[in-house]
Amino acid sequence: MKKPNKLLIDIGSTYFKICENGHISHYFRNFDKNIFDDLTGKCSETLKKYAKEDIHICSSANGGLSTLIIGLTNSFSLKYAINIAFNSGINIIDTVHYLEIEKFTPPKEMIDVVIVVGGIDGGKGVFDERLPNYLKEVNYQNIVYVGNNTNRSFLQEQVPGIKILDNIISSRLQMHEEELKTYLTDLYQADIMGKEDIKHFYDITSNQIYSTPYIVNRSLPHLSDKMNVADPFILIDIGGATTDIHYSRDLVKDNIITDSEYDRLVFKKLGVYKSRESLVFSAKNNEFVYELLNFLNVTENILEERSDKATKVLMQLSIFLVLYKMSKHHKAYIELELEKLNSIVLTGGITKVLSFDEINEIILFFYKKILHFHHAPAILLDSNYEIWSYGMVTPKEQP
Amino acid sequence: MKVVTGVVGNDVHVVANRLIDISLQERGFEVFNLGVNTYLEEFIDAVIETDADVLLVSSLNGEAEGWCRDLGILKSKYDFSDVVFMIGGNLGVGEMNAEELGPKYRNYGFDLVFHQVDLNEGLDQLENYLKERK
Repeated sequence: MKKPNKLLIDIGSTYFKICENGHISHYFRNFDKNIFDDLTGKCSETLKKYAKEDIHICSSANGGLSTLIIGLTNSFSLKYAINIAFNSGINIIDTVHYLEIEKFTPPKEMIDVVIVVGGIDGGKGVFDERLPNYLKEVNYQNIVYVGNNTNRSFLQEQVPGIKILDNIISSRLQMHEEELKTYLTDLYQADIMGKEDIKHFYDITSNQIYSTPYIVNRSLPHLSDKMNVADPFILIDIGGATTDIHYSRDLVKDNIITDSEYDRLVFKKLGVYKSRESLVFSAKNNEFVYELLNFLNVTENILEERSDKATKVLMQLSIFLVLYKMSKHHKAYIELELEKLNSIVLTGGITKVLSFDEINEIILFFYKKILHFHHAPAILLDSNYEIWSYGMVTPKEQP
Repeated sequence: MKVVTGVVGNDVHVVANRLIDISLQERGFEVFNLGVNTYLEEFIDAVIETDADVLLVSSLNGEAEGWCRDLGILKSKYDFSDVVFMIGGNLGVGEMNAEELGPKYRNYGFDLVFHQVDLNEGLDQLENYLKERK
């Protein structure tokens, strides 16, 4: 009998998705069971057919890692570290501009990893006692230093447990990402192994478990082989808690030189369930939202309702706000040249709730109202939610 | 010595930028070239990250007058006392009084200002200025 190929599994917070020979099956989570028991109970026959080395898993079930980044300047240290963290599947809690560190209040929540960066190698030291003083007020589990070599011994003495890696800023002032990226993806694996309800996934696979956003980002160079998508494009994944954007680097004018063709960005407070309140707050503070609600034939009361109709409107608002926050009208970490965009791909729960027409009308509204265009980019829905599976294994190994 | 250079604002005069880069390297400077279309904040951040000795801003389309007026504010946020701030190129737009440009840019916070001056002459003066500062 021919041995089955690879089994690909995505462990989400509400669904398991299993890809076997290119066919995707979805299983709604049973929240009365722990995740591992739920998976092995529902898919025991399928799992039995595969050896551990043929099973590949990605997961967003542990919520992802959070990071606080402390950097010397906005244009280089912070920008490079943010880029690497996002592309490694990490969610950024906050950033601290080191030169003004006294003005920053330490975050209250537990931070999985603090990243400290600044200066090229060979320059004068930039970090002093202000850094350890600030860190005393921060609750963190890991800390990594990826800045200039001059400060290494000072930080090793002053900050217990600090991990020292190569500088992410090269001697040509360019980004050097590999070592930090590997550290962060390995940290994700360590986090899974430390969590009782999900560590047993390693009983069924001998491969590294990656975070789903990292895998989705890795799938993007192969997307045009599978879907009718034209570069430059963005992929929007609107979930219950956060919204992930993956975008072609052709859409950004910045000073980052990288091998990566696509970057990731996270809006952590634009989800329609867990962060519903902040989404509504953000919507109410946007000058165009009332016009948008009028266009949708609803009043602002819909934002307070709990109904299917309200969920749909919130998802439409979420699409609008995401596009707005990435446009030139909103100063943020990046500004995308949305005028150049050829395709918008939507994945995640939103494709189950909104129809193509409902998504199309909101994107057309954005392009007409904000960018003064008469047409919008082509819209593609990943309704079967299979994009993640393209990034799990190399193109040759794909089912 | 380290020099950060680039063309400020919405200005794509890349040939001049390359000539400045090559000329500085020929004179023994370690050059960090930010290229064209560079914002003032990026110049300042590059000086901080590299611990540079000189910032050499160039402008060919004359828009530096607008782009550089916040230099004083940015300089006040960090200790740049060891850094030489220099600007050169075509520094005015339209019918301006060339004699007023030097004081105006020095008032912005530049130590050396070269409006329509030959590149090598400007770099000679930079080297003299650096020697005198020692």
